[in-house]
Amino acid sequence: MSANAASRPKILTAAFLIGPATFIAALGVIGPMLYLLRYSFNQYDPMELMIETFTLSNYVEFFTSPYYLSAYLTTLRVGLISTVICLVAGFPLAYVLARSGSRFKNLMIIGIVVPLFVGNAVRAAGWMSFLGSRGLLSVTLMKLGFTDGPTDFMYTEGTVIVGIVAVNLPYMVLSLQSVLEGINRNVEEAAFSLGAPPLTMARRVLLPLALPGIAAGTILTFILAMNAYATPVLLGGPSFNMMAPLVYGQFQLNNWPGAAAVAFVLMATTLLLTILVAIITRQKFREG
Amino acid sequence: MSTAGSSLGGMFSNRRLGRWTLNAFATLAFVFALLPLIFVTWLSFYEQEIPSFPPTGYSLQWYARAIANERFIDAFFLSAQVGLVATAIGLLVAIPASIALTRYAFTGRGAINNLLLMPLVIPGIVLGFSLYIFQVETTIATELPIMGSFWGLVFGHVLLVIPWSVRLITASLIGFDRTLEEAAMNLGADPFTAFRRVTVPGILPGIVAGAMFGFVSSFGNLEVSLFLVVPGQTTLPIAILQYLEWKIDPTIAAISVLQILIIIAAMLITDRFVRISRVV
Repeated sequence: MSANAASRPKILTAAFLIGPATFIAALGVIGPMLYLLRYSFNQYDPMELMIETFTLSNYVEFFTSPYYLSAYLTTLRVGLISTVICLVAGFPLAYVLARSGSRFKNLMIIGIVVPLFVGNAVRAAGWMSFLGSRGLLSVTLMKLGFTDGPTDFMYTEGTVIVGIVAVNLPYMVLSLQSVLEGINRNVEEAAFSLGAPPLTMARRVLLPLALPGIAAGTILTFILAMNAYATPVLLGGPSFNMMAPLVYGQFQLNNWPGAAAVAFVLMATTLLLTILVAIITRQKFREG
Repeated sequence: MSTAGSSLGGMFSNRRLGRWTLNAFATLAFVFALLPLIFVTWLSFYEQEIPSFPPTGYSLQWYARAIANERFIDAFFLSAQVGLVATAIGLLVAIPASIALTRYAFTGRGAINNLLLMPLVIPGIVLGFSLYIFQVETTIATELPIMGSFWGLVFGHVLLVIPWSVRLITASLIGFDRTLEEAAMNLGADPFTAFRRVTVPGILPGIVAGAMFGFVSSFGNLEVSLFLVVPGQTTLPIAILQYLEWKIDPTIAAISVLQILIIIAAMLITDRFVRISRVV
């Protein structure tokens, strides 16, 4: 009885403490998501804009129209390629940071964190000045005699991938670094003293141990790449289509049901692939 | 013997070579992530307006232009205002929530924790669009002026602040030694005084980091604001995006550099309280 008497006010205190934040998050996430889902089953009409009904036509439209499908495939491709590049490019940097005892380490971490919080549009501006037809790259190639005239490197899928990799690399590095830091140096030394060359050591010792960090970093960077907005808009140009710009584009065309369906396909895809990566990693982890 | 010696020597040079390649690749990746910031800074000092390389000379005139541009000044103040208000509200609800999450056992604790972190996981563009729809619907249902209002925008940004603050404040609460509070109460402090005089100073690094990261993620947010801004007003990230969709020149580069400087300042301030490397 006394236990109950003590726990009742405790529960009330906890509810009082956590109530406001929970209320805001529920109001801001659950409510809007339900409305968005409901909208995705409505019908778009050019005259009346939105007709309340219950139809799957927006989803059918999405998976049958070449316009939507190509945006979908582009998004998946860009997400996949940029994530692989982030992983390969991020691993050495994460390792060096994790093993560094240098007093500049914290400064280096800040150097990696700052770009994270500088808006994506700002970083796109940097690439625009470098990759444009009058930019440093084009002029240098011309001066070196590789090209006859100015080359515009803007508005291609490659440009978008470059931009997204630069945006996501810090996330990958930080995810890997935190896990690599926890791996005891002695296991590396053990592999070396048994005669393993560095690459073999990395493949047979570091990679399996770092798998949780690799999974976390891969999932995070993939989600971010799939959802990228400013980078494809600015580096891909008006005719380059990925999912997040597509949501906003359909919204601006007043096709709210269509935009809602695209938004749900985007979220469902990221969620499914995230779960898939988690399952694969867990299996590997058990085998390894 | 001699073969063993040479293979040992070979192994060491192998390792040295490995270390060299490793450092080279690491440097390359580090520079690559910073490259766009370097280029945009470089462009902001060009003398001529056309962003063609090489610059004819260098000048600071674009910074003068940038801080005289009314559109960007208005956008900057709106972003700062929204960021500050959203951070204040976010902290006000995140601090008690973090205490409940770390110190009380109750059913649904995990679910609530996930709910509070959710806005970081939902794509920004989807979150913005769904909030817009929701505000349209609630405006129609309640006839309150929610849609397109300052507070509607702030609400969206509070959602962005909460996950960062909860994450960082719970982390520092977990690391806080509760016997200190008990000692204070044994010495006669009531629970609230003990909290105010002992716990708050103890978890201050987490609160500061939560506030900084919350503010910075609100200040830099593009996607949610895109849907929620008051018609005719823009936040700084929207103003930058819209300008860049039209053209790139040293003026926008100068504005970008000013934004980068603000963020670096915020990071360095945070770093005085908590090591950034422990936070992210």
